Amino acid sequence: MKTPFVAAVRAIVSKDLRAEWRSRELVSAMALFSLLTVLVFSFALELDKSAREAVISGVLWVSLIFASLLGFNRSLSLEHDQGSLDALLLAPVSRSALFVGKLLGNFTFTMLVALMLLPLMTALYGVNLLDGWALLTTVVGVFGFSAIGTLLATLAVQTRSREALLPIALLPVCLPFLLTAVRATKGILGGAPQSEWQVWLQLLATITSIYMVLCLLLYRFVLEE
Amino acid sequence: MTQLKSDSPLVASPQPRLLRALTMLTALGFAGCLVLGLLVAGTDIQQGQVQRIFYIHMPAFFGAFTAFGATVLGGLVYLWRGSEAWDRIALAGVEVGLAFALINLLTGAIWARPIWNTWWTWDPRLTSAAVMCLTYAAYLMLRAGIENPGRRRSLMSVYGIFAFVSVLLTLFIIRIVPDTIHPVIVGASPQNAQGSFEATSGVLLALLPSMILWLTVMPITLMWHRYRLALRQEAVDALKLKALGG
Amino acid sequence: MRGAKRRAICLLALLLALGGWTSAQDESPYFQSAAFNVPILAGWENQSGAGIAQFHNPAARATIRSAMADGADAPAAAAADLAGWQGLSELDAPVYSGKVNLADGTWHVLAYDLDEGRSASQIARRADDRFIVISFLESDPASRTLMLAIAQADESLESPAPELDSALQQVTPLRLAELAAAGAFQQPGGDWLVYHSETARAAGSIFGNDSYIALQTGSAGEQMALGDFLALADAWQSTALGFFITPDNSLYLWLGVAVSLLMLLTLIGSFAWRARGLRKDLAMLEKLASADAD
Repeated sequence: MKTPFVAAVRAIVSKDLRAEWRSRELVSAMALFSLLTVLVFSFALELDKSAREAVISGVLWVSLIFASLLGFNRSLSLEHDQGSLDALLLAPVSRSALFVGKLLGNFTFTMLVALMLLPLMTALYGVNLLDGWALLTTVVGVFGFSAIGTLLATLAVQTRSREALLPIALLPVCLPFLLTAVRATKGILGGAPQSEWQVWLQLLATITSIYMVLCLLLYRFVLEE
Repeated sequence: MTQLKSDSPLVASPQPRLLRALTMLTALGFAGCLVLGLLVAGTDIQQGQVQRIFYIHMPAFFGAFTAFGATVLGGLVYLWRGSEAWDRIALAGVEVGLAFALINLLTGAIWARPIWNTWWTWDPRLTSAAVMCLTYAAYLMLRAGIENPGRRRSLMSVYGIFAFVSVLLTLFIIRIVPDTIHPVIVGASPQNAQGSFEATSGVLLALLPSMILWLTVMPITLMWHRYRLALRQEAVDALKLKALGG
Repeated sequence: MRGAKRRAICLLALLLALGGWTSAQDESPYFQSAAFNVPILAGWENQSGAGIAQFHNPAARATIRSAMADGADAPAAAAADLAGWQGLSELDAPVYSGKVNLADGTWHVLAYDLDEGRSASQIARRADDRFIVISFLESDPASRTLMLAIAQADESLESPAPELDSALQQVTPLRLAELAAAGAFQQPGGDWLVYHSETARAAGSIFGNDSYIALQTGSAGEQMALGDFLALADAWQSTALGFFITPDNSLYLWLGVAVSLLMLLTLIGSFAWRARGLRKDLAMLEKLASADAD
């Protein structure tokens, strides 16, 4: 008999969260890395309070994606090395529950980083990133690339040089998220009328749903047998 | 010795008659389309001779579309049926499609030099076409990095399906991001497109055969040859394993 | 083999014929030559020959001609072209001489009064080692019509009035203040602001940062219809603005074709290379097998 879907998801998520709570390795590394990325961009592009909204939203999303790359790689490498995924596979758990569990874990970690970056960048560049719509865009965008990131990280850990290959595999596929999320954030920050940027948010949500469905359907094929 | 050969009938199997016919058709058709585009079609008086690059540029993109589409199909059928043949088709699609996509990208850059006065500009469509090439280059790198053949086949089927997003993005980005300078020949060009020209009957005469060739015969023929290479590769690998095993 | 060759030649001939047929179907609104292209003036008599685009308006007794000419500089080439065309041995000094910078280069603007009441207006610029000359010739003894182009003194101004005044002052004894404003008139090429009196007319249209100007003086009561005058001005302006040289960029075309061929050959070559490697491997395996058998 299979474990019910929700129970299985809850078990996986709580396992990941508990492990992270004990070590605090992953989120602290991601947070530090994203901070460094923002700082590097600030110096390289000489960003200050007069920086344009387009640049700031670009920096926000690139930092988030870079940090999440680090997180996805680490989270799936751990599973791979400790063989805990194999153990889970032996358990009577549906493959999509496994995916949703890992995804929710990754999403939570990346969202934590985002929740740290938003007020920080608000303070640094004098833009209002704590707006409800900006937050919604962040949640949808992070969810979307966490989905594809979880799938590709599961794929990449099975390759020979996995640390190098995840960014190569993930970045091009992430482009639709980057494009739409940056446009939406830029519109929201710039105070443009809702009708102008709403279409980007809708597009982002559409892409996220399409990717989510594809990932749910295809995840069982990337799992090791 | 004879034993070895009969073990691997594919190692030197003769080309099927259909493949030979297709190869001939591709070669003749390619030459014919070049003649049409370079000699028969009229010169565009605004852009000059360089406009003829278009008769390669656009068909090459659609050839890549066919090949990458075959990768998606191959991936889906492989995941569904588990037949290795479809994985070979998927791989063949990536190699042929990547070559076509590079032709598309390079001819575009060469055309842009005299018309836009620059080899490259970070226009949405150019950027996404470049990302498309990188995505499939990543496919080949990933594929080379997975040792277990069974894992390789299913992982790459999944990646091949996701990679197609970059193709669709390149195709539809003009509708999504309208601030592009890339012209649209069939249909209305974006407002700030630079280097458009009219699709007159002369242009269509040279374009249509070229489109049909690059969309169908050319990718299929090249992929078939690549497929046969993959078959031979597998046969030789199996022989090697056998020789090593004693 | 010979049959295949013949078939290929037949196919090629068919393609060429088909191409000729379709290019005849496409009617271009341009006079095209190896050196330049100009718009064909609708309703004007087409007198073009090899390398010369010439359109004649019998009612207005006006001709617009574009040609290539040789000379030491643009004014000399323009004068030589005009003298050769009209069979004149020598020309008086131009009544107007100036320059405008258009998108495709610096054009010299010249105007001449010829004998028998004829007048000519020209613009000329360098194109490689020769000069392009676009001439407007009017041979109506009752009036004198000149076409000029002058860079705007104040580019923020949307009226050609300052240039109209300066043009009138230079080629006629009149000032713009002596003429009455007749309003703006829309023509296919643009909007023309018109001033007139019983004996004179001035029309100006702005394109880019230049004013295109048409001036007409004559005896009272013999003026042509305003519409005909504006049609002349518009024909002149659309010829000057519509003129362009097809860029010579066939090197880029060949580069593109070469790169495409190279790319395809690389793909096919890589197939062949890998197949060769496999054949070598196979030969090696066979050798090993036979060595084992011994």
